[in-house]
Amino acid sequence: MSARAPSAGPVTATGTASHNVHGQAIAITVFSTVKWWGKPILPALFAVTKRVPKLTDTLVQLSFIHFARWSLVKQIPYNGPPQSKRKLRYTHMYFESNFNGGWEEYIDAFSQILTDGMAAFWGSSYGFPKALPTAPFKKYIQNNEIEASHYYSAYPEATITMVKAALDVDAKLAALKRNAAKMEPEAFAAAYERFLTDAQRSL
Amino acid sequence: MAERVHIDLGDIQGDILRAYGNDYDCTSYAFVKIDCPPEQARAWFSGLLEHVTTAEPWKEGKPVTTLNVAVTADGLKALGVSDEVVGSFSEEFRAGMSERAVLLGDVGPSAPKSWESGLGSGDAHILLTINAQETADHEHALGKMRDAMDDAGGLSIVYQEDTQLLPGSREHFGYADGFAQPAIEGSSDSKARGGGVPLKNGAWRALAPGEFILGYPDEDTREDPKRRLPSAPLAPLGKSGTYMVWRKLYQDVARWRRVMRDAAKLYEDGDEHKLSAKVVGRWSDGTPLVTHPDALDPNFDAAGRGANDFRYDSDLDGMRCPLGAHIRRSNPRDALGFEGHLSFRHRMIRRGMPYGEELAEGVVKDDGVDRGLVFVCFQASIARQFEGVQVQWLNTGNLFGLGLDTDFILGDPGGKGKMTIQGRPPFFLSPQEVFVKTRGGEYLFVPGISALAALADGTAG
Amino acid sequence: MSSQDNVNGQAYGFQSMTPIEPGKEGELRAYLEGLDIDDSPFGKLPRTHMGRFVIVKDFYNDPSWGQKEEHLDLQYLIFTSNLDGDIDSYLDELCEVMAPEAREIWGRCVGCPENPKGAALKAYLKHNQIDCGFFYAAYGTATVPEVKAALRQRDQMIAFATRSQGLSPDELQEAFAAEFGA
Repeated sequence: MSARAPSAGPVTATGTASHNVHGQAIAITVFSTVKWWGKPILPALFAVTKRVPKLTDTLVQLSFIHFARWSLVKQIPYNGPPQSKRKLRYTHMYFESNFNGGWEEYIDAFSQILTDGMAAFWGSSYGFPKALPTAPFKKYIQNNEIEASHYYSAYPEATITMVKAALDVDAKLAALKRNAAKMEPEAFAAAYERFLTDAQRSL
Repeated sequence: MAERVHIDLGDIQGDILRAYGNDYDCTSYAFVKIDCPPEQARAWFSGLLEHVTTAEPWKEGKPVTTLNVAVTADGLKALGVSDEVVGSFSEEFRAGMSERAVLLGDVGPSAPKSWESGLGSGDAHILLTINAQETADHEHALGKMRDAMDDAGGLSIVYQEDTQLLPGSREHFGYADGFAQPAIEGSSDSKARGGGVPLKNGAWRALAPGEFILGYPDEDTREDPKRRLPSAPLAPLGKSGTYMVWRKLYQDVARWRRVMRDAAKLYEDGDEHKLSAKVVGRWSDGTPLVTHPDALDPNFDAAGRGANDFRYDSDLDGMRCPLGAHIRRSNPRDALGFEGHLSFRHRMIRRGMPYGEELAEGVVKDDGVDRGLVFVCFQASIARQFEGVQVQWLNTGNLFGLGLDTDFILGDPGGKGKMTIQGRPPFFLSPQEVFVKTRGGEYLFVPGISALAALADGTAG
Repeated sequence: MSSQDNVNGQAYGFQSMTPIEPGKEGELRAYLEGLDIDDSPFGKLPRTHMGRFVIVKDFYNDPSWGQKEEHLDLQYLIFTSNLDGDIDSYLDELCEVMAPEAREIWGRCVGCPENPKGAALKAYLKHNQIDCGFFYAAYGTATVPEVKAALRQRDQMIAFATRSQGLSPDELQEAFAAEFGA
């Protein structure tokens, strides 16, 4: 782990290689090999997760992740020699996430709180130990993780909660901005106070 | 589910499981440098062992003084421990605190280049901690230590800090401190209410001892059908040991009082005592804000049962105790939801002591006196527990929905920080000047009793 | 797997996996690692929220896992981007503004067109696209400019709220108008 001087804000992107970090944002990239029964199960899992928002409730509540994806590599597109024409024996699952707050803390949360979710997504991958206890699960992720060579965020100084807070402030401030000039000072002061009270979790 | 844990108190050093601060008013910390060959150093080291106090309860009343011994990574090498064995200690311990300065936020006025001479430079090898009731007693004990060092030769004290309890067990900003500690299974189960892990039904449970003492099951072992113990240094050094963080924190009391006094003029919800309580999360006598949001409890007894028994579930919006208050950041309890599972593995045993003369009440002009807190904590993992809290909970506010706001009481070297104090309407407290500066520190290991013996006779590997 | 799986709100998750010319893996890695993150080529694509380049040397095989070994024939370059809006126009933009970098990056990959830019590069990237199975976005309806503007405004609001405590209603209204042009 390296702790180099940050380009944005306090050092919080701990527990991972330096090329996985841009300011507050951390990249994690994991490839796993999928067992035969995962091939049909995973697409069904993806479809269900998309259609049932409740399943990602905990993920949303944890607010660690900006963007994440799971994709299945069944065959690698062919571009001519020296690439091999050989078909892949297994399907491989690619996972990437863009998150905040420290690699150890992130994996801990997935292990301890999203335990069932981990089993659902990685249960069909070779070598997946259970998500709990944490230590062997962390080892599994570490072994399957690949360090990025270059990682970028358009707003490296901001965490997910800051982005959500900023969007919240924007929505609430809009009404105040619209009406501000039309009010008497006393009325404006009261409206401003109501806005602050209403938006304080985002300020 | 888990069998009852039995803790071998005779093999663990004292002051870890039970605070000596409750029994002694003075603590001296002496950092010794070894400048002689390992065999010579070990001979001197052996002489210390008979004086080292263990975690066993005292049968004949409390000793006049107590001695505890800790070692830095450089100290292990100076005692002749092999590279292989030193390599089995944690990465952050081997790097040392000064190497981790940027990570910890020890920048600007807190940067290692401004630290006390002798700290953070690789010269601190062995830490002798002496507790005593009277200054005379620890001076006597230290005197004997120094004589022994002179006799042995090639040993010197590179840094010493003498500390003393302030009246009311307060620290220099005026707050009762040190009485909230983790409840440890097999040792302090009675403190589970408030000190342990908050469960869903309002109950609490104590923490696994391996979170604090190596060689015992920790919270992760609980989930492991194979009951694997947490990683620890190679035998015989790992068992019954713990990692120690020692940190000298200067407190700018005059500045703190000035900023709080000035800010309170704009604070409509109360006076500067209330505003300060909002920053800390407790009133100065220790009454928790979350249970007593408007005034302290005249009957509050910081050392009493139940003093620490509170949760944040009825205050999730921070209206009583602000979301960024110091105690809420450093020990979120149930505030983050998920039955405390985002915070339960980041607890620390704290054993710090204030140092330096008090600044007379009401004085807001700095007198140039060095005063503050010697922060000491014990844990199984410095990275997960001490650093985890410092880096993710104090130096930033993300987990609490507070963006990059740092713990107000520590200060912001950039001088631009603020603290949002939730309310109707909220109050924005600023300026976040630098109230605390790191003056030096070390990462150490506190070996168990048999491990100390192995170090002394060169059989540690 | 349809390309709708790549969409979340107005956000799109693009991924390509291209084989690296044998012998060029080291130089490609050095080039990518040498890029200044505060002056990233992604910065030329303002519709990019987050993006990465990852070199996959091989699949991870562990005999104790009971699987038959499977190895990649070559090393592969993975490129992913979490972006706003329509993928075709994004790739058009990329293939134009990132042409110099594309030469250093995909120019070292098997099958990349001689002159890696424009339509030819776009076709190459689309040929090597991997669709998402599940794409998660915490704020999929907000674009990069909206996010950045909102972040700036939040900072502005905090600074304003902090310094205007104690102002009279008249002063407050005036200061608010000056600050937020309302």
